[in-house]
Amino acid sequence: MKDLEIRSGFDPNLSGKRAECDGGGPVPGGRYAARQEFSGTLTGDYRDHGEPPWRWYLMKELTRKPGDYPHDAVWCESESLFLLDA
Amino acid sequence: MSQDPLHTKLCDQLGIDFPIVAFTHCKDVAVAVINSGGFAVLGEAMHTPDEIAADIKWIRDRIDGKPFGVDLVLPASAPPETTLEEIQSKIPQTHLDYKQSIMDKYDVPMPKQDVGLHQWGGLSLSHGRAQLEVLLEERVPVIASGLGSPAFLLDAAHERGCLVWGLVGRTRQAKRQLEAGVDAVIAQGFDAAGHTGDMGTLSIVAEVSAIAGDTPIIAAGGITTGRHLAAALCLGASGVWTGTLWLASRESDVDMIIKERLIESEAADTVYSDSVSGFTMRVLKCPWTDEWKKPEAPRPLASPYQMILSADYTQGANDARRPDLMYEASGQGVGFVTEMKPARQIVSDMVEEALTVFDDIVGLPD
Repeated sequence: MKDLEIRSGFDPNLSGKRAECDGGGPVPGGRYAARQEFSGTLTGDYRDHGEPPWRWYLMKELTRKPGDYPHDAVWCESESLFLLDA
Repeated sequence: MSQDPLHTKLCDQLGIDFPIVAFTHCKDVAVAVINSGGFAVLGEAMHTPDEIAADIKWIRDRIDGKPFGVDLVLPASAPPETTLEEIQSKIPQTHLDYKQSIMDKYDVPMPKQDVGLHQWGGLSLSHGRAQLEVLLEERVPVIASGLGSPAFLLDAAHERGCLVWGLVGRTRQAKRQLEAGVDAVIAQGFDAAGHTGDMGTLSIVAEVSAIAGDTPIIAAGGITTGRHLAAALCLGASGVWTGTLWLASRESDVDMIIKERLIESEAADTVYSDSVSGFTMRVLKCPWTDEWKKPEAPRPLASPYQMILSADYTQGANDARRPDLMYEASGQGVGFVTEMKPARQIVSDMVEEALTVFDDIVGLPD
């Protein structure tokens, strides 16, 4: 399987904006999937995976995350993000 | 009543007789439902691109040009990259000890081989994109995303004549996908098997239908009878998405032990638990889920840590085919799965019951 081309960028219009992410994904090791919800602040950093671009934004300063979620950041698919700040 | 209540815009979109969508991981079930006048979406999230291509050919060879769908689980969020070794090193000893106490208490055998988690290594974005490329190349009639938004692939899919469906657990997700131009939205309620949102089926189907305009809405979550089908249509849906309904069907490749458990189970025998994977999901109750609900149990870990913990239990139970230990994702409609029927009969029973309901309420056209 060839690696996806990943293009990184920065959107100043989103930097510092608070947002919610209706996230989730496949559960490793089985055929299940699950939802996960996050709230936090977008850094403005993004990555476009492949073509047509599948855009992901980096969220940090998480104020809501699943219990024991071990990271302080999460990548959120752009269409699953909901901005709290106009 | 002036028209067939079961002939909906979903039927028109797909050219099918009945607005019943089977979500299944079993190709035989998919073919049987399609050839019975319904529609089927094959869950392929676990498969390699080559396997998906082979499955598509297998189905196409048996359905005489009728449409079908393939479902992938597109992620909607992703943690920063970590290795399996890093993950394993962070599991607290308290949780490892609790896991071992369950294994000992129920005499759970250790897996006969490495568990899938270690062999597979999880899904990556590259994997998901490679799967999607197959669906586009094969011009699969319906591409369904079982979790994340499929908006980014809409243009590419439509250029190839493929319809795109998205499954949502919240109304705002549906609104976003409708604005993007998906061809149908599957509104999935809390009653469903596996991952669900926190809205009940009755509520989310009505809310999403209210904003859908001409786009078909497909109701999901706990739907296993003709009464459910009739109710979903009354809520504004154009069809139903059914999963648990097919697990114990004659054609299903689910282990016979699980089929028997499903047939014996009622809604209260399912549990919405994060003890299996660290994600909340609805499954049949089993000793593993029971033990993690006890007051003395540690709080289940987040994914993927909890999945690492539960993997030996799951694989050991399956290897030994222990009915008292095994589990499966199951929706709350499981109480109406009471016998092992052929898929064709399941379709016809559902249709007949729904028509009877409509006839009882408002009368049917001659």
